[in-house]
Amino acid sequence: MTEALHTGYIGRDILRREDSYLLRGQGKFVDDLPEPRDTIYLGFVMSPYAHARIRSIDASRARALDGVIDVLTGEDLAELTDPIVTEIDFPGYIRHGRPVLALGKVRFVGEQVAVVLAEDRYIAQDAVDLVEVEYEPLPVAADLETAHLDGAPQVHDHIPNNTIFSARFETKGFDPAPAAATHSIRERFRSGRVAGVPLEPRGCLAMPDHTADAIVFYSSTQVPHILRTALGKHIKGASESKIRVIVPEVGGGFGTKAQIYTEEVVAAALALKLRRAVKWIQDRREELLTSIHARDHLYEVEAGFDGQGVIHMLRVRLHTNAGAYSSLPFGCTLEPTGGARMIVGPYRIRNYAYQAYAIATHTCPSGAYRGVAQPTCFLTIEGVMDRIGRQLGIDPAEVRLRNMIQPEEMPWVNAVGVRYDTGSYVASLKRAMEMIGYAGFRARQPADRLADGKYRGIGICSFTEISGTGAPGWRARGLIRMPGFDSALIKIEPTGKVTAYISHANAGQAHYTTFAQVVADAVGADIADVTIVEGDTGATPYGTNTFASRSAVTGGGAILRAGRKVREKMRRIAGQMLEAAADDIEIREGWAEVRGVPGMRVSLTQIAETAYSMNNLGLPPGEDYGLEASDFYDPPLATMANAVHICTVAVDPEDGRVKVENHVVVHDCGRVINPVIVDGQVQGGAAQGLGEALMEELVYDREGQLQNANLLDYLLPTALDMPDIRIEHIESPTIDGEGGFKGVGEGGLIGAVPAIANAVADALAPLGCNVNRIPLRPSYVLGLIRAATGR
Amino acid sequence: MARERVEVSLTINGRTYRDRVESRLLLCDFIRHVAGLKGTHVGCEHGVCGACTVLIDGRTARSCLHFAAAVEGSAITTVESLATEAALHPIQQAFHESHALQCGYCTPGFLLTTVELLGRNAAPTTEEIRQALTNNMCRCTGYANIVKAVGVAAAAMRGDGAAKA
Amino acid sequence: MKPAPFKLVAPRSREEALAALAEHDGDARVLAGGQSLVPLMNMRVVQPGVLVSINGCRDLDYIRLEDDRIVCGALARQAAAEESDLVRRRCPLLADAAPWIGGMANRNRGTVCGSLAHSDPLAELPAVAVATDAEIVLASRDGRRTLAATDFFVGELATAIRPGEMVEAARFATAWSGERTAFLEVSNRQHAFAVAGVAVRLDLAPDGRCRDVRIAVMGGGPTAMRIEAGERAVVGTTIGVEAARAAADAVERAVDPPTDIHADAAYRRRVLGVLTMRALQQAAGRS
Repeated sequence: MTEALHTGYIGRDILRREDSYLLRGQGKFVDDLPEPRDTIYLGFVMSPYAHARIRSIDASRARALDGVIDVLTGEDLAELTDPIVTEIDFPGYIRHGRPVLALGKVRFVGEQVAVVLAEDRYIAQDAVDLVEVEYEPLPVAADLETAHLDGAPQVHDHIPNNTIFSARFETKGFDPAPAAATHSIRERFRSGRVAGVPLEPRGCLAMPDHTADAIVFYSSTQVPHILRTALGKHIKGASESKIRVIVPEVGGGFGTKAQIYTEEVVAAALALKLRRAVKWIQDRREELLTSIHARDHLYEVEAGFDGQGVIHMLRVRLHTNAGAYSSLPFGCTLEPTGGARMIVGPYRIRNYAYQAYAIATHTCPSGAYRGVAQPTCFLTIEGVMDRIGRQLGIDPAEVRLRNMIQPEEMPWVNAVGVRYDTGSYVASLKRAMEMIGYAGFRARQPADRLADGKYRGIGICSFTEISGTGAPGWRARGLIRMPGFDSALIKIEPTGKVTAYISHANAGQAHYTTFAQVVADAVGADIADVTIVEGDTGATPYGTNTFASRSAVTGGGAILRAGRKVREKMRRIAGQMLEAAADDIEIREGWAEVRGVPGMRVSLTQIAETAYSMNNLGLPPGEDYGLEASDFYDPPLATMANAVHICTVAVDPEDGRVKVENHVVVHDCGRVINPVIVDGQVQGGAAQGLGEALMEELVYDREGQLQNANLLDYLLPTALDMPDIRIEHIESPTIDGEGGFKGVGEGGLIGAVPAIANAVADALAPLGCNVNRIPLRPSYVLGLIRAATGR
Repeated sequence: MARERVEVSLTINGRTYRDRVESRLLLCDFIRHVAGLKGTHVGCEHGVCGACTVLIDGRTARSCLHFAAAVEGSAITTVESLATEAALHPIQQAFHESHALQCGYCTPGFLLTTVELLGRNAAPTTEEIRQALTNNMCRCTGYANIVKAVGVAAAAMRGDGAAKA
Repeated sequence: MKPAPFKLVAPRSREEALAALAEHDGDARVLAGGQSLVPLMNMRVVQPGVLVSINGCRDLDYIRLEDDRIVCGALARQAAAEESDLVRRRCPLLADAAPWIGGMANRNRGTVCGSLAHSDPLAELPAVAVATDAEIVLASRDGRRTLAATDFFVGELATAIRPGEMVEAARFATAWSGERTAFLEVSNRQHAFAVAGVAVRLDLAPDGRCRDVRIAVMGGGPTAMRIEAGERAVVGTTIGVEAARAAADAVERAVDPPTDIHADAAYRRRVLGVLTMRALQQAAGRS
C-alpha cells in the first residue's frame, strides 16, 4: 500500500533559496565564470543583407590584426559540423538544413557568415569589422502576407511558395454551414512580431577538461540535455558522452533559450578542435537580430452561431511567419499546430476546421517564446466572443458562459482530441468578474466613458493553457525528437541528507526552492536537509527540460515517482528497525514513525545509516544497499491549466494612449506548490503580455532590415506601465497525471494579450472602431479613432 | 587606429584597483574583468536596460556608458558593497521577502537605483517608486513585487517596524 | 557592442580642452556625460579618433545667473539643472523638462550642453533652448561666438559646431515676470524616448492676458522648432479654448514631422496640436 502524499511543504509560501547570492551579486551567470587566460573569444560576422549570395570573403585584414587568432568561414565550419536539421514527422513539413555558418547564401539579416577568434571581445569586434564580404543582393521576401504568393522570392529553392509547412484538419462530418448557425462573423486578427528579450543575452563557454578530449560546455540555455545531444550529433567526430553541459545562472529564458543555436555548435566544435577554452557572449544587437523571434501571425476566422450566441461552426485559416530556417528543436510547426489545436480553448466547439501554414521568409527564425501560439489564438477566439456579443447585444461575458464547457461535462475531449481532465472554466470566469466588479463597471461605463475625456473598456480572456506536454503531445505535433519526459534521481545520503538531481534547468523560476518543497514531501524529509542539483548533464538524468510550462508537471511528477520508490524502501528498512510492518510506517519531515504509536520512530539518518551499512543493524533480507531511486515522468498528451484575465483600460481619444487601470487574474494550475512563486510567474507573464499588446514589435522593412535592433526602439514595459494585478487561485488538481500539478509559466502572458486588446476594443466600440491587430500603439489607436470618427 | 592603453586607477567600494587598460575599456568591463566584481551585469550596452547601474560619487550611472579611463578619480559603488557577510542590506532583505527577483540578472541595477531613491526620499509614494524605477528593465517579475519591496525597504530603513512585507 | 579604439585626452581646464580640440582638429569629439555619444560609439555608428573628455574640467561645471540669463557650463549635469533652486526659480521650463530626459542615471551623468550638441529632434533640451531664446556659446582656441538656439540646430543630429569648437555654455533666458510654463510629451509607453513633445512659456499679465509666449515642439521636424504662428494665436488673449485651439491648429500646419516605426507623420502632427492645447491650458492654469 502506498501512503497518501503528506503535503507539509507543498502549497506554502516558502522564501526563495536562490535570493541571497543573487542579491549579493554573487550569482554566476555564464559571463561571470572564471575562464583561463588563453580563452578564445568569438565574434560573428553577420550578414547585412536579408538575402544575398556570398561572392567572396576576404579575412586577410582581420587575420593580420594583433590579437586575432583566426577567422573561419562557412566552408571551414562545414568540415567540423553538419548542418542543423529539424526533424519533424508531420505531413506538409518540408525539411531543410542550416549550416552553422552560411554557405553560399544568406537568408536573413544577422545570419552568421564568418567567425573571428580573438584574444578579447573588443578585438573580436575590431576584427569582425575588418572581414570583407562581397555579397550579391537577391530579392527579398520578408512579409508574411505576401511571401507565399506566386512569384515571391524563394527562401529555399526546394520550398515552393515558401510554404514550409501546411496542415488541414476537419472534425468528423464538419459542416461549414449548419442550420443552427443563423448568424456569422468573419474577421482577421494580426499580431506583431515580438521576442523574449531576456535581460541576459545568450552566451556560452566551452572548456576542454584535463583529459583534453572532452569539454565542459557552459551555456545560458534552458535545455541542457537536448543541447548536449545536438552538439554530439552536429559536431563531426564528437562523442556526446565527452560533452558535459552545465547551465550556470540564466538571466531569463522565456523560450528564447530553449533553442539550439548555431553559435553554440560553433563554440563547442572549435573548443574540441583547438583544445582551448572558447567563449562567446552575445550583445543586445545580436540578441535582437538572431535569437528566435515569435508571433507575426495572421488568423482569418469564420464563426457561425445562433441567436443566443452559441457557436456551431468555427473555421480558421492561419499563417505564421517561420523566418528563414526551422529552428531547433521546435521547428516551424509549433506555432501553426499550436494555434490551430488550442483555439477551441474552454469552449464547447465541436464543428471545427482549420488550415495552418508556416511561411518561410527572409527574417530571423521564429521559435518558442512564452505562450507560443496561445496569445494569438486566444486573441482570435476571445475577439470572436466579443464580436458575437456586440452583434447580438449580449454581454460578452454571457456569450462566453453560454459557450463554455460546463463543470458537469468534465472530463472533456476537445475538437482536436485533447482531453481536459479537470478545470474551472465557469468558476474562474465568474470569480474574475466579481473581483473586478464587472457588473458595476458595465453599469457605470456609459457615464464613465467621458467623465475625464477617456474612453473606458473592459476586456476578458478566458483560456486553457496547454502545459507539461508529454510524448504523445509532441508526437501529435510531429516533434519526433522531443522526448516529453523529465526525470529525477533522489539520494538519501548516509548522513540522512537528501540530494535530488532533476533533469530540469532553472532560469529564474526558483526550482531550487519549489523542487525542494516537492522532494521534502515526497521522501518525508525536513526541507532544510534537501539539496537540489540540476542544469548539469554530468550529474542529472536525461530529460526534456525547462520550457512550455513544464517543470512543475514533469519535474514534480518525476520527483514524486522517484520519491515514492525511496520512501517505500525507507519504510521497509524502518519497519525492520521498529519491528513493525512496512505498511504501518509513516514518514514525514525527517522521521519514520509507526502509525498510531507516537514515539515509536527512527530518523531518516538512522535509516540511511542502515541502508549504507554504517551500523550493526543490517538490511531486511533481499534489500540492496544504498538509498536512492530514479524515475521518469512522461505526462499525458497535455496537462490543461486554465485561467481568466479581465482588465479595464482608459483610452485617450486625443493622443491614442492606452492605460491599463485594473487587471485581475483567476488562475487554476491545479495543485499550487508555492503560491508566491506562482503569482510571480503570472505577474511577469502579464507584463510581457502587456508589452505584446501595447508596445512591443520587431519591425522589418521590405528589404528585410530589422528597424529596431536595440532597446530604445524595441520597447519593453517598465514599472510605470504595469497596473497592480490582483491574483486568485482556484485549484483543480489534474487527475490524469502525478501530483495534481499543472503548469503556470505561460498563462500570465497568454491571458493578458487578449484581455488588453479586448478592453481597448470595448472602449472604442461606441466609436465604431474595429480593433483586430496588435500592438495597440498610440499612433495606431488614434488612427483607428480618426478613421472611425472622421476627425 | 592603434589601441591606446592608459594607466587607470579606480576606487570601487572603497578599494583601489589599478591596471593598464585600453582607453576604450568600458567602466562595466573594468568593474567586471579588472576588479573581478561580476555582480554588475551587462544587459544592453546602450544605456537603456539599467542592469549595469552603479553609483558614481553616490549617484546612479550606467556603467556601460562610461569609459573607465574617463571616470578616474571617482568613487564607484557596486552591488557587492551592500551586504555584509552576516546580513543583507535592508533593501536586499526587502527584495528577498517580497519575492522581488526571479532570474536576478537585473536585480543589482534595481538595488542601486533604490539606494539612490531612498537616499533622497525616505518615504516615497508608490507612484514615486514607479517613476524612479522606470528606467530599469525587468523581464521576469512584472515589477509588482519590486515596487512593493522598495516600499518595504523604505519603511524598514525609516525604522518603521509596523511595515512588513 | 564594444567601441572602436580611440585616443583619450583628459584636459583639466577649459583652456586645455580647447587646445586639445585644436590639436586634433576634425577627428576629435567632446566627451561630457556620454549618454548620447557612448551608445553610438558602442554600436560603432560613431568612431571618433580622439575623445576629449571634459569631465575633469571643473571650470566648466557651473550653473549661474549671468547678465540676466541662466548659464549652464559645458559640464553642468542635467540632474544639477533639475535640482537647482536657481533654475527652478529663474528658468522653470528647464526644470519642468528635465525629469522627462531618460532616467535619473542618465541625468546624473548627461550634461545640458551635451544634449544640445547632440541635436536630437526628439530630445527635450533643444526644445527648451528654443523656447527660452537660448544662446549657445561656442568656443575654440581662436575665440568665442554665440548663436541663437534656432541658428545652432541645423538638422537632425546636426549643429553649427565647427571643427575645433565645443559648446562652452548654454545661456537660457530668465523667466518673464508673469512666467508660466508647461512641458508635455508622449511616447509609446508611459516613459520612453519621446514621439513628440511641446514646451510652452507664457508671460501672463495680472489680468490673465498673455503678454508674450513661446511655443517650441520636438518631433515636428528635423530639429526642435519654435512655432511663431502658434504664438501669434494666443498672444493678447486670456488663453481660452478658442485661442488654444487656434494655436494648436497653427502648430499642426507649421510642422512637418517624420514617419518612423514609432509613429507616422499624421499622428505626430495631430498629437503636437493636442499637446500644444494641453500645454497652453496647463501653463495658463486651466487644467
